[in-house]
Amino acid sequence: MTALFLIAAGGLAGIMGALLGIGGGVVLVPLLVFGFNLPLEEAVPASLLCVVASSCAAAASYVDNRLSDIRLGLTLELATVVGAITGGLVAAYLAPAMVAVVFGLFTFYVALQILVLRSRREEPVAAAYKPANYPLGLTGSFVAGGLSALLGVGGGPLKVPLMSYGMRVPFKVASATSNLMIGVTGAASVASYALRGHVKLSLVSPLVVGVLAGAYLGSRLMPRVPTAVLKKLFALVLLVVAGQMFWKGGEGLWPSIWK
Amino acid sequence: MAEHMEVSKAAGQVASSVPTEEVPVQANMVEPEVASGARAREALPQRAATRVGRAVAGERWIARILRGGALISGAMFLGSLVMEALPQSEVVQVAIDTLRKGAASLLLVTPVGRLVMAGTMLGLRGEWRYMLCAAGVLGLLALAVGAGISA
Repeated sequence: MTALFLIAAGGLAGIMGALLGIGGGVVLVPLLVFGFNLPLEEAVPASLLCVVASSCAAAASYVDNRLSDIRLGLTLELATVVGAITGGLVAAYLAPAMVAVVFGLFTFYVALQILVLRSRREEPVAAAYKPANYPLGLTGSFVAGGLSALLGVGGGPLKVPLMSYGMRVPFKVASATSNLMIGVTGAASVASYALRGHVKLSLVSPLVVGVLAGAYLGSRLMPRVPTAVLKKLFALVLLVVAGQMFWKGGEGLWPSIWK
Repeated sequence: MAEHMEVSKAAGQVASSVPTEEVPVQANMVEPEVASGARAREALPQRAATRVGRAVAGERWIARILRGGALISGAMFLGSLVMEALPQSEVVQVAIDTLRKGAASLLLVTPVGRLVMAGTMLGLRGEWRYMLCAAGVLGLLALAVGAGISA
């Protein structure tokens, strides 16, 4: 019975991940920790492997449909990896709780921007666009990589708005490209967990089965869902991320409040 | 799509590099010059088509690698779940364990394979900058995993 619930949880994470380019870890970690009472040490590596699964299943469809921008993905991926390594190296010198609060504020701001304000700029057409503002994209990807190493959040919640609003890439292309990118960094993160023996395969098995099915479904749905709906959904997910970051920051900054 | 725009731009560049004006006639060169100009004009759509064809083929291979990795590892994980329903014995336990380890390893290798394929595809098309990006990502990730840095 638990396996069926885990497959369903994976399915939900897979759909969300494929639709929004966020991998699904944002949905899966709270579900596993609060819904299945699993410790965070087991939930995080399992969710990272699910991010890889979601990325593979969804990106296959997006590359086939020419929705992913392979060149843009490769360029930003390099900055992300450099950022992730830098984040890993400086982690000892930074207070992750403070970084979490700052990131929480940022995601909260972006979510409100999407939900409340209506952009006057028209959404570029997916068939004819040229990514603009590469310096901003590279810097943002570097920061996204650093945050992924410091806070364990995937780069998706930062990279999709960065590409969409900062680089004038159509939202669906940004989401599809983010889906392509997160697999590589996710795989590297899981590899480092696996080398330490922290990946629980009995937990991962039903989750990955669900995630693959969900990501397949999500990747079929995404081209048909209106961009405005995807943006609103993305904003709601960003609010969840912001909540998680405030929780994480609060736990670190004011431990007495949470005990 | 940006990359398709780039392909058509590349085709356009090839087109602009081909002389379209008639070459002045010289006694001993008339035939070869006209013939080479015509041949170049004929070759032009062929070259552009070859480039587009290569790009599409490369993308198809990337999609195949991703889909293949996801499907096979998913099937292996599903197989391990089905085997859990069988009467438990040591052989079944070993089989479940092996299936799961194999599936997880395949899943981890798939995005790396995709990166290698993308780098190779772009390198074959002469887009060295992106090939170097792919090589850089692979090298840095190997370094990070080797050094035990959580990237």
